[in-house]
Amino acid sequence: MKGIGPILIVSLLGLAVGLAAWNGVLVATPAQAQQLFQRQPELTEILTEPLEPEGKPGEEFPVPFAPLPRTITPCRACHGPEKDFPISHNRREPLLIHTTIKLNHGGVRVWCLDCHHPEQRDYLIPLSDGKLIPFDRSYLLCGKCHGTKFRDWRYGIHGKRTGFWNGTKTYYLCVNCHNPHSPRFKPLEPMPPPHKPWTPKETAASEGGWKP
Amino acid sequence: MSDRRFMNEAVPDKGDRERKSDPSPGSPQQQGTDLSRRTFLAGAAAVMGMFAVNSCTWQEFIQNNFRRMTKKEIDETTERLKAEYREKYGKDFVVGTESPIDGTLFAYALDIQRCIGCRRCVHGCVEENNQSRDPEIQYIRVLRFKDGDMDLEHSDIYYNPDEVPQKGYYYMPVQCQHCANAPCTKVCPVQATWTEPDGIVVVDYNWCIGCRYCMAACPYMGRWFNFADPVIPKDEVNTETHYLGNRPRMRNVVEKCTFCIQRVRKGKYPKCVEVCPVGVRKFGNLLDPDSEVSRIIRTKRVFRLKEDLNTQPKFYYFFE
Amino acid sequence: MQRSGFIVGAVRRLVTGPPVYYVWVFFLLALAGAGITAYVKQLQLGLIVTGMTNYVSWGFYIGNFTFLVGVAAAAVLLIIPAYVYDFGPIKDIVIVGEALAVSALIMCMLFVTADLGRPDRVWHLFPGLGILNLPRSMLAWDIVVLNGYLFLNLFIPGYILWKAYHEQQVNMRFILPFILLSIPWAVSIHTVTAFIYNGLAARPFWNASILAPRFLASAFCSGPALSILLYQVVRRYSRFHVKDEALQKIAEMIAIAMAINLFLLGAEFFKELYSDTHHLSPLQYLYAGVHGKGRLVPWIWTAFTFNIIAFIIFLVPVTRKSFATLNLGCVLIIVGIWIEKGIGLIIPGFIPAPLGEVWEYAPTGTEIMVAAGIWGIGLLILTVILKILVPIETGEFTKSTATAS
Repeated sequence: MKGIGPILIVSLLGLAVGLAAWNGVLVATPAQAQQLFQRQPELTEILTEPLEPEGKPGEEFPVPFAPLPRTITPCRACHGPEKDFPISHNRREPLLIHTTIKLNHGGVRVWCLDCHHPEQRDYLIPLSDGKLIPFDRSYLLCGKCHGTKFRDWRYGIHGKRTGFWNGTKTYYLCVNCHNPHSPRFKPLEPMPPPHKPWTPKETAASEGGWKP
Repeated sequence: MSDRRFMNEAVPDKGDRERKSDPSPGSPQQQGTDLSRRTFLAGAAAVMGMFAVNSCTWQEFIQNNFRRMTKKEIDETTERLKAEYREKYGKDFVVGTESPIDGTLFAYALDIQRCIGCRRCVHGCVEENNQSRDPEIQYIRVLRFKDGDMDLEHSDIYYNPDEVPQKGYYYMPVQCQHCANAPCTKVCPVQATWTEPDGIVVVDYNWCIGCRYCMAACPYMGRWFNFADPVIPKDEVNTETHYLGNRPRMRNVVEKCTFCIQRVRKGKYPKCVEVCPVGVRKFGNLLDPDSEVSRIIRTKRVFRLKEDLNTQPKFYYFFE
Repeated sequence: MQRSGFIVGAVRRLVTGPPVYYVWVFFLLALAGAGITAYVKQLQLGLIVTGMTNYVSWGFYIGNFTFLVGVAAAAVLLIIPAYVYDFGPIKDIVIVGEALAVSALIMCMLFVTADLGRPDRVWHLFPGLGILNLPRSMLAWDIVVLNGYLFLNLFIPGYILWKAYHEQQVNMRFILPFILLSIPWAVSIHTVTAFIYNGLAARPFWNASILAPRFLASAFCSGPALSILLYQVVRRYSRFHVKDEALQKIAEMIAIAMAINLFLLGAEFFKELYSDTHHLSPLQYLYAGVHGKGRLVPWIWTAFTFNIIAFIIFLVPVTRKSFATLNLGCVLIIVGIWIEKGIGLIIPGFIPAPLGEVWEYAPTGTEIMVAAGIWGIGLLILTVILKILVPIETGEFTKSTATAS
């Protein structure tokens, strides 16, 4: 029981963020999101592809599911065989739809279809092997441009990992911390500063506390 | 409900793997002198009559240094402590005595480029390590510097804006650096503090005489003194403890960061690593070339605080 | 029989005296009582009752301790000319200096104990029983040398007085090695005490090689100054004869020691000011204040002024030879050195803190009361020792007079 609470919170918040920010079309309330997110905390998948030339073949590292579940991104609903909404190949030209998405990633160089697959809308564009990348493996695509970051992340140098320093680790994916449409880390409210220590009365009175 | 909280909550770890770590037996060589020690102290205690004013029990008074305790003494002591804590906090405690894992030398790395100064680590640490809330003890100080300046005298730890990071500043958390050449352990007149084989600098709170020489010796302000009886709310106390780590302390003794010895000796990451929302905190085994810290030292530019003092910290700040 | 004779005689001497003696003893007892009350409060509540914090973790107690180690060490200054150069006038009175050393040492130990968070665990320091961290810890070394010095200063006068009480000749061949040993030993107690601070690279204010010499120089001012006053009191209230010549010799030594002390201070000032690194900050805090904080500034300038005036008094023959100005000089030196070495040395070592913060310190009422109590106990011990020691030394109180009465 103890473990489920935080997972739910995480998944909920993940959903809320993911949905609101990425999709722009489909907005789910937390309650709906909870319904949709049925998968229970079988937390890690094992990725077995060798990730770089010096990596040992068949090397494994665990990753958690992305905060965005597969089942609720039905891009195909509009961009699919049933309803084939037109797609715009023009770069940096306002769209009629998806207007809530403010793309703030890579300056002028990046546009929607640099990541999203033009035909297979439930996927991201493939690497050179031609295999489609599902949304929950988005880090593979991130690594295409951010190669050194990807390498650091894979070794736990960039980004966050929890769990066991000598055993099973849980990786935070790129998109856990960076909204792909606006990757800069969002500011946080700091937790309270420490109390100032006891100080002689006269000092405290004359100074009004210590200032840098 | 913002992504702020989301970033905060870690995806929980599986935690189902138990390390089989045997309790560390104290060196048995002391058993001979033990009896005479007790006999003498019985007399001494009676004469001194210190119990009333210092509210310390007879067993606590004669308690030996942790490193000289036999296995039996350790068991007796932890049982006594558990009973004491149950009475005080109304909860069952675990007082672990896990010894170092073979082949480990712990080190820490912190990405100074990405720290946002949010103090999640400070407060996570306080809760994990049962630090006194009043008087306040916080093992981690987050120093804020202006861009382009690393003068400690210009740093500020009391910043409190609405949001961090602030433009024009960067942040540097400082805690015990677990020096390989630690000035604090050297100066202790009674060897109440020492470096464990896995590199963690610990304090035996029941052996410390409270002279505070170690605090004067530490260049990083890594040590804290319980000037009064520590106050921990009953519902916030962490019952998973280690004898040399986060077990509740008593007044007038020194305490410090132990890399969360109660966690890391079971294989877990320290609490500050787990709660850092930006993942700048890295922890691992220096003797393992594949550990995060070993890779960071190899592939990033690292520096250690006050390297000129030759304290040889096992706490590396890194950047790209 | 012999022993009971001594005890009865000693007690009789302790309870009789002029009215001023009673006033003095009751004053000291009151001080001690107040100190003990304050100390019990400290034991019950913890060191929170003091002004010390995690930033300034040593304060008034350790400051007084440092000053008193100097007073104790200064007994050596009296021994050197007395025995090595066979200077008669001082040799006669050296025993009173040793009594001062003993009571100063006891006060030192009381101050360290008052500063300890867990005095109930003091047995952790006993070798064999606990662990005395030798050879690594300078505090452990200090415990060794202070106790050794206390032993020497009890043993040497004890032996001499024992012989005097029994109206026998002192066997110089037996006692001289101990006397000679006590000379380097006295240097060692103050050197090791300086090394306690000196060895801490974390505190640049203390981490200067000049610290031990400065300690000795200042000790050789304050200790003898206290002795000069003490000798005048003793010769006034007893038949113990102290020649002016002896006091003059001591005053000359003080002048030299003060000159060295001021020179070393100047050297330190030059180094810090000219190089102008961050190691200057504590000195700046002490003499000028930093970030608008400078509680110690008036104190240290008072000390500086006192030391300069006293130096001039001791240097100029006219003022040195007049007892009015000599005594004024002694008081100025004692106060000056107490500020310089007690407060002015310990506290700025912690300001700014190693991570740059500036937090000031001031002793609380409790702390001052405990310190006053320790001074009371120390002076009481000194009074008791002198009350018995002086009559033995003058031949008024011997085995024969004790048994006769």
